[in-house]
Amino acid sequence: MTGATVAAVVGVGAVAGLDLVSVPQAMIGRPLVAGFLGGAVVGGPLAGLATGAVLELFAFETLPVGASRYPDWGPAAAAAGALAALRGGVWDPAWMAGIMVVALLAAWVGGLGLMTVRRLNAAQLRRRERAVEGGDARALAALQLGGIVRDLLRASLLTGVTFAVGERVARHVAQGWRAPRELADVAVLGTALGVALWSAYRLFGQGTPRRFLAVGTVAGVALAAGLLAW
Amino acid sequence: MKAADAAPGFRSALARLFTIQAAFTYERMLGVGFGFAVEPMLRRLGRSGGAEGAGAYRAALARQSRFFNAHPYLAALAVGAAARAEIDGAPPERIERLRGALVGPLGSLGDRLIWAGWLPACAAVALLMVAFGARAWAVAVFLALYNVVHVGLRVWGLRQGWRAGVGVAGALAAPGLQRSLELVGPVAALLVGAALPALLGWYPFRARWEVPAAAAAAVLFAEAARLLQGRATGLVTATLVLAVVVGVGVLW
Repeated sequence: MTGATVAAVVGVGAVAGLDLVSVPQAMIGRPLVAGFLGGAVVGGPLAGLATGAVLELFAFETLPVGASRYPDWGPAAAAAGALAALRGGVWDPAWMAGIMVVALLAAWVGGLGLMTVRRLNAAQLRRRERAVEGGDARALAALQLGGIVRDLLRASLLTGVTFAVGERVARHVAQGWRAPRELADVAVLGTALGVALWSAYRLFGQGTPRRFLAVGTVAGVALAAGLLAW
Repeated sequence: MKAADAAPGFRSALARLFTIQAAFTYERMLGVGFGFAVEPMLRRLGRSGGAEGAGAYRAALARQSRFFNAHPYLAALAVGAAARAEIDGAPPERIERLRGALVGPLGSLGDRLIWAGWLPACAAVALLMVAFGARAWAVAVFLALYNVVHVGLRVWGLRQGWRAGVGVAGALAAPGLQRSLELVGPVAALLVGAALPALLGWYPFRARWEVPAAAAAAVLFAEAARLLQGRATGLVTATLVLAVVVGVGVLW
């Protein structure tokens, strides 16, 4: 792994983290996208996509509503996608379980980091309060730029740390795993689908959408059976 | 170019709207970003002549940078309306009432339309495509689908807000918007319902018995999440469960 590779992963994570709140909220930071891009810069886009798809299930729970605290999936997914790609196309359930634990923790820490950025934004605003209250356009531009720079630093740091820690954890878990590896597969997809299932019920479990959720689920089971038979 | 697009600074304001949350604080929420976005549309006030014009511009900008909160995409509607009200010379108290009155409806509408509707629907389409082996196309389709509505809402919002000014509440009752609200929930529910089980057929399991085992684990986990509701999020619970599984796997 070269410095350029690490820089590329950090770059993807930074853009993905910035996307969540600061600019442009175009869902580049969704796990499916960030995981794919993270894997792509390491040379394994499909491993990144698969990791991103699993993390996307966890992210169904996240509604990034205003001032509430929510996880930041972008940097976590970018690092996780890159880590999955480092395995060279080999799907190792234990490696994946190690990545997932680190990525979920990183997403949670990313949410805490966002709160810190907001507090730092407020501190900068207090220093420029008089200019803002005086209708100074340059003060507003400086506040916006300051917020973007802080968020960029937060996302870069988070991606770098997640990538470095995740690589060590995943390697340690994969080498030390002694249980049947199927246990890791069942746990990873089981918890991911469980979070998504619960989130879907909370979002659509009442009124008209509930019936559509039920119909969709029946169709999904048929699709899964078809895919397994195929 | 349509007449509404010819609003002063329309394109610049539209571009700036993509950064509306950049200086988010708990005190002013989107206020600073709102002021930054609306500023190009207020410049005409400053050009209207002498110290009086400059004063009006500064007073308007200060007013527009105060507390504001809404869904970031639909904030465009408020930005357009506030700019129009300022240019038309509406009384400051009326403009402040307008901004205040839009906070709740724009937040609620955006949350239902986007966060709880369009976003899960697009994610479900992408996951279904992944399940059927679409690879990079799944990402491309997700981004394209989602952002057609995302960017469209920002453009529509700024345009409608500018057209309506202080009468912007009428834009929220637009038939197209109301119909979209009715449709997006059921469509998203159908797609999400289909995508979740379908992924059981995609995941690279090592043995067939893992499929029902993972499905059972998912149902058990969802039930545990329901019981823990309000005490722990699914993310926290999942992290703990997976950490325990990893520990068991290593110490086996």
